[in-house]
Amino acid sequence: MDVAILFLSVIGLLLVGVPIAVALGLSSIMFLLVYSDTSLASIAQSLYQGMAGHYTLLAIPFFILASSFMSTGGVARRIIRFSIAIVGHLPGGLAIAGVFACMMFAALSGSSPATVVAIGSIVITGMRQVGYSKDFAAGVICNAGTLGILIPPSIVMVVYASATDVSVGRMFLAGVIPGLLAGGMLMATIFGIAVLRNLPKGEWLGWGEVFASARDAGWGLFLVVIILGGIYGGIFTPTEAAAVAAVYAFVVATFVYRDMGPLATPEGQPNIPLFRRPWALLTAFVHRDTRDTLYEAGKLTITLMFIIANALILKQVLTNAQIPQQIAGAMLSAGFGPVMFLVIVNLLLLIGGQFMEPSGLIVIVAPLVFPIAIQLGIDPIHLGIIMVVNMEIGMITPPVGLNLFVTSGVAGMPMMRVVRAALPFLGVLFIFLIMVTYIPWLSTALPTAMMGPEIITR
Amino acid sequence: MGLRYTPENRFAGWVDSFEETVIALLLGLMTLVTFINVVLRYGFNSSLIWGLEVTLILFAWLVLFGISYAFKITAHLGVDAIINLFGSKGRRRFGLLAGALCIIYALLLLKGSWDYWAPYAALDQTSGRWFPTGFEKTRDRAFYITDQVPMPEIFRWLEGLINQGEEYEKLPRVIPYVILPVGSALMLYRIVEVTIRIYRGKQESLIVSHEAEDAVEEAGARDLEV
Repeated sequence: MDVAILFLSVIGLLLVGVPIAVALGLSSIMFLLVYSDTSLASIAQSLYQGMAGHYTLLAIPFFILASSFMSTGGVARRIIRFSIAIVGHLPGGLAIAGVFACMMFAALSGSSPATVVAIGSIVITGMRQVGYSKDFAAGVICNAGTLGILIPPSIVMVVYASATDVSVGRMFLAGVIPGLLAGGMLMATIFGIAVLRNLPKGEWLGWGEVFASARDAGWGLFLVVIILGGIYGGIFTPTEAAAVAAVYAFVVATFVYRDMGPLATPEGQPNIPLFRRPWALLTAFVHRDTRDTLYEAGKLTITLMFIIANALILKQVLTNAQIPQQIAGAMLSAGFGPVMFLVIVNLLLLIGGQFMEPSGLIVIVAPLVFPIAIQLGIDPIHLGIIMVVNMEIGMITPPVGLNLFVTSGVAGMPMMRVVRAALPFLGVLFIFLIMVTYIPWLSTALPTAMMGPEIITR
Repeated sequence: MGLRYTPENRFAGWVDSFEETVIALLLGLMTLVTFINVVLRYGFNSSLIWGLEVTLILFAWLVLFGISYAFKITAHLGVDAIINLFGSKGRRRFGLLAGALCIIYALLLLKGSWDYWAPYAALDQTSGRWFPTGFEKTRDRAFYITDQVPMPEIFRWLEGLINQGEEYEKLPRVIPYVILPVGSALMLYRIVEVTIRIYRGKQESLIVSHEAEDAVEEAGARDLEV
């Protein structure tokens, strides 16, 4: 009963417009003060330890920083050029290239709204110019943008790994096949529609363009190689990989692409080569652009970690009160099997994903459903991927999916039109969700093959 | 709807750029220390033994310092689906209610932070469970030090002040933990400030619905020009 009050108070606070972090924190503090003998001092300590005590979460600021350096328009443009060179000549080519670009950018950024903004603001305009309808363009990008949290590296996966003590490396690997599958399904759907409706196709620009654009985009895409290669080669921990990636992204953005920093020039003019201004090696560190990128990444880290730190306090409340065990007991005695349980998880997350920022939602829901899943014999990695895919779909489910908002802003379309435009592809992702939920192989095959079978302690 | 924070006068502008720079600096330092440690490990087969602990402390500082700043510029994420159903007047009422609730949160956290930090500074905790009702004698914890962080010379004066003149071998915990009371106090101040702004009708709510709101606005503006 008291737990029902706890959840109702969280939801009530959220709905009146209290920040998510405060809604979680205030409800937990009240609960702890009334129902337990925890002191305010130890709550403050938990808040501090939310950051200082979680080595895994330390990867988050670094990933955000790497993606901020990579999110300049220049990198998105290069990735789009590369995509068009590869798939632009197919029927519906530009739309397929848009999905492909979203997949690659997702690997760099790890955030769905960021992917929609970076790729969408270029591709949607481009698609309209060659004769696609605005609705089709918006629908494609809105859906493809959700891949941001599924294709590794992904911030949401780091949070899941941290909340349930599974390995970050395994989670990242587990996202590869589902990520490629979801992208492939979207592209195949577009291809089908394009053949039926005779949508415009581009011209094959030749292998020269493929190689030239690949070399250009390669500097950025190599970031993924550093992160994944570093983790699976046993060179770095995921946290270190993220920090190295951030430094690499800074070097590429400032000295190779020169989109920002002391060597950048206004759009349209050639960049300044380093040998003309060698002192840039030093001034780059204190350049206004560098400071601004650090600040933007810092701001995002702060808002995310404020939510996560408070969600960790709530998690502590739930664990202390043994809520997951109680729910698990109730579900098992009611005779629910794994299938029914997964349906419930799906529903819970689809609804939650409407309102909540994905990372915060994971911190709260993961400890609730994790012990139950283990008891029912569901693989923790598989559960993690299911949760991520659910969150993705929550972002594009009407009425208030996050990506719908972002797309309506980027494309300058009313919300309802975006919802209608996204609907056919939402159907595709729903089929994908069902596949991911009931075919564990999709998620577990790659991590098991590369890192050996995992050991589950019950 | 203008979401971006604009400083009202020169002093506010200076404070704003100070806060931004601190945030950038903390994140930059975290990244550099971690990166340098990786380089040292592979390039020179050595490491900064205090690297990880310092990074984690900077991480906590970044977030706890930044919370108040994010309140100031209205960057905290929230759910605006329901409040957007109301008119401007209704939204402001919700804004005031939310402000009041956030103030309660900040007050509770401020008391908790003081109570946690005070013993490490050889000060007394406050008594009372919900509200501070006075000070109570607390066991001194000023001798607690961090695990690995070296003691910088500039903090030696702390030894005479709180550690009965005894030498600190490592950085005492009073320093990293000080961000708790400081951060909570700043948060309280900023929330009060924002709530007053809502009361005066200069702002409607404390939240944004997603982190990319600024970027979307820019992209939307660009799209209209095309």
